[in-house]
Amino acid sequence: MSPQLTLQTPLELPPSDVPAYLEQLWGQDQPSTGNAGAHTFCLLIWQPAWTEQQLIRTGRLSGPITGVQRQELIAAAREAVIEVDLPLSTPPLSAAVADALAGLAGDTKAEDLRGQHVDASVSSLRPRRLITLAPTLDATQELETLVAAYCPLPEEGGGTAACGDVVVLRGGHDALRRGLGILQPLLPEDLPSWVWWNGNLDEAPDLLRQLAIGPRRLIIDSALGDPLACLDLLAARIDARLAVNDLNWLRLRSWRETLAMVFDPPHRRDALSHVVQLDLDVEGEHPVQGLLLAAWIADRLGWHLNGSQRNEDHGISAEFQRPDGVAVQMRIAPVPMGAPSIHPGQIVGLRLISKPESAPAMCVILCAESGGCMRLEAGGMASMELLEEVVPVQNQPVEADVARLLEGGHDTTNPLLAATAPLAAKLLS
Amino acid sequence: MSATITNPLRVGLRQERVIAPQCLIIFGASGDLTHRKLVPALFELFQQRRLPSEFALLGCARRPWSDEEFRQKMAEAMGAKVSDNRMAWDQFSAGMFYEPVDLQQPEDLVKLGHRLQEIDRLRATRSNRTFYLSVSPKFYGSGCRALADAGLLKDPDRSRVVIEKPFGRDYSSAQALNKVVQACGQEKQIFRIDHYLGKETVQNIMVLRFANTIFEPIWNRNYISSVQITAAETVGVEERAGYYETSGALRDMVQNHLTQMLAITAMETPGRFDPEAIRSEKAKVLQAARLADEQEPWNCCIRGQYGPGGSQAAPLAGYRQEPGVDPNSTTETYVAMKLFIDNWRWQGVPFYVRTGKRLPKRLSEVVLTFREAPVHLFDAAGGSPTANQLILRIQPDEGAEFRFDVKSPGSGMRSRPVEMEFSYDESFGEPSDEGYVRLLADAMLGDPTLFTRSDEVEAAWRLYTPLLELIEDSPWQLPIHPYESRTWGPAASDALLARDGLLWRRP
Ligand SMILES: NC(=O)c1ccc[n+]([C@@H]2O[C@H](COP(=O)([O-])OP(=O)(O)OC[C@H]3O[C@@H](n4cnc5c(N)ncnc54)[C@H](OP(=O)(O)O)[C@@H]3O)[C@@H](O)[C@H]2O)c1
Repeated sequence: MSPQLTLQTPLELPPSDVPAYLEQLWGQDQPSTGNAGAHTFCLLIWQPAWTEQQLIRTGRLSGPITGVQRQELIAAAREAVIEVDLPLSTPPLSAAVADALAGLAGDTKAEDLRGQHVDASVSSLRPRRLITLAPTLDATQELETLVAAYCPLPEEGGGTAACGDVVVLRGGHDALRRGLGILQPLLPEDLPSWVWWNGNLDEAPDLLRQLAIGPRRLIIDSALGDPLACLDLLAARIDARLAVNDLNWLRLRSWRETLAMVFDPPHRRDALSHVVQLDLDVEGEHPVQGLLLAAWIADRLGWHLNGSQRNEDHGISAEFQRPDGVAVQMRIAPVPMGAPSIHPGQIVGLRLISKPESAPAMCVILCAESGGCMRLEAGGMASMELLEEVVPVQNQPVEADVARLLEGGHDTTNPLLAATAPLAAKLLS
Repeated sequence: MSATITNPLRVGLRQERVIAPQCLIIFGASGDLTHRKLVPALFELFQQRRLPSEFALLGCARRPWSDEEFRQKMAEAMGAKVSDNRMAWDQFSAGMFYEPVDLQQPEDLVKLGHRLQEIDRLRATRSNRTFYLSVSPKFYGSGCRALADAGLLKDPDRSRVVIEKPFGRDYSSAQALNKVVQACGQEKQIFRIDHYLGKETVQNIMVLRFANTIFEPIWNRNYISSVQITAAETVGVEERAGYYETSGALRDMVQNHLTQMLAITAMETPGRFDPEAIRSEKAKVLQAARLADEQEPWNCCIRGQYGPGGSQAAPLAGYRQEPGVDPNSTTETYVAMKLFIDNWRWQGVPFYVRTGKRLPKRLSEVVLTFREAPVHLFDAAGGSPTANQLILRIQPDEGAEFRFDVKSPGSGMRSRPVEMEFSYDESFGEPSDEGYVRLLADAMLGDPTLFTRSDEVEAAWRLYTPLLELIEDSPWQLPIHPYESRTWGPAASDALLARDGLLWRRP
């Protein structure tokens, strides 16, 4: 479904007037009318869209700025990678691309509709309030605040009294930070609030910290930003028992499912206690997804970490100890990809070797549908029982993954992620 | 290796669709089903972390319980399930509420509407509501109407109604009930329960048939000579005599569960795997089904009733001696019948269906018997060659079994049957969801695949109308054959198959 615009043209108001305006809009002084808006949830989005803004400014993409990951944006970003001489394996929406574009000339202006485009998968959940923080390229720009009432279209189940509104805060970094003051009254206490940080995790740590206070539920993508910072943030939230959801972890679901499936038949279970080696190939140099998968396996199988190190090829090796004392070697290796996924560091292959005492050795290879895993298939396994599976690639737009989280309404961190992330962080430190 | 060690990689991996925030309202919250099945199933979902945190359960019945009383009563009834998981229960039960509602009092429903708004505010349940009618069937129609009149079914995307079995007593009452129910909301809001459909293997019949290419080409009259569908229980009527006396095996088991198994086994391939397409095919095949002899139904149906049995040490009472049963009762506890399906796929293939209480084993299965080889080239070790059989086991020990002939070892070319087996336990080693867990989850997800649609229900009742009329008008033509408890039913049932030169499979 294509994203839609809010039904009204948003109204620009001085920031300090926004809370009062919204209060009056929903008639909160007369709650008996039932028109106080949908009792659902609030979603606060950090929506920098740096790559999109830079592509538009330098004339490589036509406006408006939307913050939505549309096809034209990805195509233009892929072309820019070649043009600015970045390695071909650079993920198109990564900070590297936006940074390189920042050095190029151009002053094309376009309308900024961030926050006014609502993906149907999100709007059909009838959010009570969508607040978008839209930082501009010009760091000195003053704060603008826009407000619009909003109802889902009738075909999406709208049309009844309960509705929501859209608030946009736009401006330079400092202006936004000053604007944060009006947020608290905009987030009703009796409704769950989610904060979706749709950008690099290390680009504005102070803002992130202020936005993601408890009990707000944070949604991040640990594939974006410095790997250690990403994992530390996850681990810290989990440690503080604050709900955190990771889109990068969510994208691992078909890997977890496929690996579990291999060991569903009880006669293969024993092999899980005798793993001696685990290899993961990941796309490019962002290791977080690989670390999360490795840590999940280690946690599930009760392995204890002996030590880890970074390799020269930017890979990571580690040694674990199984509950029976035997060592397990783990290696994550970056592999260059010609047409990289938009998500940095996606796993492309997994190999797990098990040597049970009384049965032939077994080698499990899982391979992403999108590519080959020749490296993992090469050599040394002739005497083993070989099990190969193809892992389906998930091509969901990011908004659909976010909607999936919002729809389920969980206020705790997924217990598997909670057990996994701290170990993944340890592997990297 | 035992099948009980769980797959450590499977733990916590429920790659299922997520249940949206909502309030589940159970009418009949003080009844038997609620504490025996529904609340335990919900608690199970909660412990599996499949319920959203914005979830509320609102119990409703006439008696004036408080929220706290409701929580306590449920906890008491669930015993160790709660006391062993106290923390989880405390969390779960914080979302449990109770509202006294008499479905026959319109003002109670208005009050209910207010309470629901309050719960929406308290639990952010987003006005998503699933109403579960776990009350006497006489309230199904009026209950839906009361909900509709109070405006609680207005939003077709946010409200739905789950209706327990039985749906009607015969074709005309089912039709009348459908009319009432459909006037209250859209068909997509109505979920008619058949808890057999919640069983993994019933669903697996669909997967087996439609995900594999090897079965579909032979799944028809050219290769299959007969089909047997059995649902056997070892228990007697237990404490449900009051209900059972007015129902009997035909209404209690055949019209719903066995007919659903029949439909899934015999239906055409749906164009896509979507609920409506599947339900349409099921309705179509039921519309094509008929009793083998509609004019003289006594030729194709046997009724039975269990008599005393068991051993001297553990004697079992006969049906008529059970508490609450009329000593002259003519209620059947066993039915066997023969059906045909008049379509291209099944023309001429008999479907034998049987169910009974107090049989020797508890099991449900579908047995497809294939035609014999046209020429017998080999001597069979057992005298006559055995036909190939595909056995789909629904319970216990869910799985499938294929029986075919191989060469008997030694000199000569004698053949003997062997079995190829697949067991859910051995391949997956995980227990599948209990029926109500699955059904409640699906209802709250709004997935109607495992619920029956109005046309299916009506077709199923129509199929048995000649029998129901006969039992009503001239029951002596369909006499009750007594059978000893813990035997495989009356001899007349074996005779039904013997006439076609067949035997019931002895599982
Ligand atoms: N029990 C089973 O194993 C089983 C199996 C399959 C299907 N079912 C079906 O499930 C349904 C419920 O069965 P059950 O065994 O739980 O029945 P039950 O024990 O007789 O419970 C009936 C419930 O309905 C309530 N009730 C009666 N009149 C009412 C009214 N006017 N308004 C609101 N609530 C009213 C009763 O509570 P108050 O007296 O407090 O109002 C009680 O909670 C039935 O339709 C049955 O056919 C049951």
